[in-house]
Amino acid sequence: MNEPLVLQSKLDLPAADPLATALKERLGTDVTVDAGAVASIGALGLQVLISAAASLKATGHRMTIINASDRLIEQMSQMGFTPESIAEGTS
Amino acid sequence: MSDANDPMAEIRASFFIECEELMEAMQDGLTTLDEGDDDPETINVVFRAVHSIKGGAGAFGLEALVRFAHRYETALDDVRSNKFTPDADAMRLFFSCADHLSDLIRVCRDDDAIPDDRSAELLAQLDTLLGGAAEEEEEVSADDFEPMGVSISLDLDGLGDLPPLDFDVDDAAPMDETPCYHIRFKPEQEMFETGNEPQMLLRNLAALGEATIECDLRDLPPLEALAAETSYLSWDITLIADVDEAEIREIFEFVDGLCELSVRRAGSDTDAPAVTAPIETSSDGFADLPEPPATVPDDPDVPVAAAPAPVAAALAPSAPSAAPAPEEKTARKPAPAKAAGAAANGPKSVVRVDLERIERLVNLVGELVINQAMLSQSLEQAGLSPHSDAMNGLEEFQRLTRDIQDSVMMIRAQPVKSLFQRMSRIVRESSAGVGKNVRLVTVGEGTEVDKTVIERLADPLTHMIRNAVDHGLESTEDRRAAGKSAEGIVTLSAAHRSGRVIIEVSDDGAGINRKRVLEIATNKGLVPADASLTDSDIDNLLFAPGFSTASEVSDLSGRGVGMDVVKTAIQSLGGRITITSEAGKGTKFSISLPLTLAVLDGMVVNVADETLVVPLNVVVETLSLGAADVEMLRPGKYIVRVRGEFVPLFDLGVELGYREARDSYVGAIVLLIAYEDGARAALIIDGIQDQRQVVIKGLDDSFFRAPGIAAATILGDGQIALILDPADIIAEASGASRTEALSA
Repeated sequence: MNEPLVLQSKLDLPAADPLATALKERLGTDVTVDAGAVASIGALGLQVLISAAASLKATGHRMTIINASDRLIEQMSQMGFTPESIAEGTS
Repeated sequence: MSDANDPMAEIRASFFIECEELMEAMQDGLTTLDEGDDDPETINVVFRAVHSIKGGAGAFGLEALVRFAHRYETALDDVRSNKFTPDADAMRLFFSCADHLSDLIRVCRDDDAIPDDRSAELLAQLDTLLGGAAEEEEEVSADDFEPMGVSISLDLDGLGDLPPLDFDVDDAAPMDETPCYHIRFKPEQEMFETGNEPQMLLRNLAALGEATIECDLRDLPPLEALAAETSYLSWDITLIADVDEAEIREIFEFVDGLCELSVRRAGSDTDAPAVTAPIETSSDGFADLPEPPATVPDDPDVPVAAAPAPVAAALAPSAPSAAPAPEEKTARKPAPAKAAGAAANGPKSVVRVDLERIERLVNLVGELVINQAMLSQSLEQAGLSPHSDAMNGLEEFQRLTRDIQDSVMMIRAQPVKSLFQRMSRIVRESSAGVGKNVRLVTVGEGTEVDKTVIERLADPLTHMIRNAVDHGLESTEDRRAAGKSAEGIVTLSAAHRSGRVIIEVSDDGAGINRKRVLEIATNKGLVPADASLTDSDIDNLLFAPGFSTASEVSDLSGRGVGMDVVKTAIQSLGGRITITSEAGKGTKFSISLPLTLAVLDGMVVNVADETLVVPLNVVVETLSLGAADVEMLRPGKYIVRVRGEFVPLFDLGVELGYREARDSYVGAIVLLIAYEDGARAALIIDGIQDQRQVVIKGLDDSFFRAPGIAAATILGDGQIALILDPADIIAEASGASRTEALSA
């Protein structure tokens, strides 16, 4: 099992690219994403996670999001998602 | 609940459950209105509740319910559109209509006889209240309703006929219903570069009303092909909100040109497909009905086409809480819609669970607690060191068990609000019955109590409220003469106090006429003529079986079954009832109940080789008696001195009949017991074993109610122990020295 990928506190435009890079490196393994430090997630951060989750799923691997705060879950739901649906790569 | 094989029965059952919630919201709204609130949203809530009930009832062919709700709704609509400002009489009528509506729902649910007379009577009153406009209305709607049978489409037609009364279709449509919008929103890359965030916009949108947010992932590439700074997502939002399009567009004002945006109002005549969309996604099972609102597109003229949005709006509020149709899109993904709703107006997201499942869970947790106690006992007997890993683990296990227990109990807990609302109806009806002007003030509606307790409190509370209105409060003339306001006040309050729930019913009436109470009790032979009783003894006579003070038997409360029935009901819940009264100021009944009927913290004690459990919350302290502590009042009657205070002393073994009295009290262990009212007593026991959580196993089903015994439990070693009700034991014991009547 790999070390969890610890997310930054703000998943906005500047954070999207580094996040995508980090996730690309983990394609081909099961990925655990530690969202414990995330204070806000934007649409760009969101789409990286969903895209990664979908790609993982397509290759028989899975993403798990852990430690999502209530605030983060609320932000996700405002965009139509739950941590589970993101980890599934679906809306 | 319902026949699992019949989906209609299930949907029907969930409709009636929703009705209960709607009625609750409606009662709330009416109460707020009655208190002088003129927020337009308040009347909207009431209106929407009635409208939703009507809509659902139409779908199930509950004609009587539809007809009444429709006319009631019309009246409320007049209030909403400021055509009519309700005065106190009108509010009373509105309350009566709400009560009747809830009766109708009940008879429809139980297939009982429909009280048409009462409907006609109330509708006639509504007509009188609203004057000519309503009569005109009546002709229109009556014509519509009679020949057509019942379906949603009929309901819509009825509405479709409403606008001509307003002479202005454009005005009437938005006033009629909460509009439903479809918004499609696709941010462009520039939007992010300017520091805007779709999540904020979506949040603001959801805050306008009830939003269902769906993200479109069609364009999202796999990670390898993803350019992190390009926007691929777009959103479809269904928003039910009482706002106009401009307000929605205002949210996107700052990203104008930085995103693709379309806002369509559902039901606008240019947009026929959108008409059915909200119904499909938000009506739960209703779209599957044999006569779906699909009739709508057949009549695409303006007034009718405008109507579908109202139906969607009316049904949608129920969607987040009820998910009986898992095949529905929104039901499968309730989280986003619910959270958005919560952001908008703060309703809690809820899951409806069959009570049986919870009961099963509660029982299982009960078994877990017992099992944990057994395990702990066997580990102890195995002689493990208290510092061993096993013992430490066990401690953690105990803590977890307790947390689980608490959480499970919280599932069963419900606010007393629904119960209190039923009581406000009792007050309205009983005060009208005896011609008094009475207001019910409720305090602590949010206090949560075990569901079983709430259900079983309804009857005793009803009785007490009626008593307060009928006997407690004086007549209006007497109140004026006493310099009080003509309006009597009955206060119903609930609060948590030291691990118990205290429910109080008080009135600001004349107080108990003790002279008269004593006279009656003496006449009825409840007390000997020469008995000398304290005020509180006399007050307690009200609880004696067969006692009734009203010289004329009114049809309200004087039915010969008196407060003794209330007392028995409360006792069967493990509770106690006390009474305090002050002449000229009023009377107060306090009910003290255990928070739950399933577990308690107990002190496990030995008395004459028997193991007993004393509820921990009544034990103030334990002490060992010295020679100087005990004083004899008279033979067989002792008191003990505790911290400068004298407290009556009872030997538990003697009171329970286990053994003879001790020769000497020196060295005996004593539990100091305190009641809710602060009075104390000391109980002699033979030894203390332990302090632990015990699972209450009721005895009532299999045995008679033994005085002083509240229930039983199973201890860790599998032994059965009785749980005591110390206050009852002491009442029994002290009763023996007074009169038999008082010990009842």
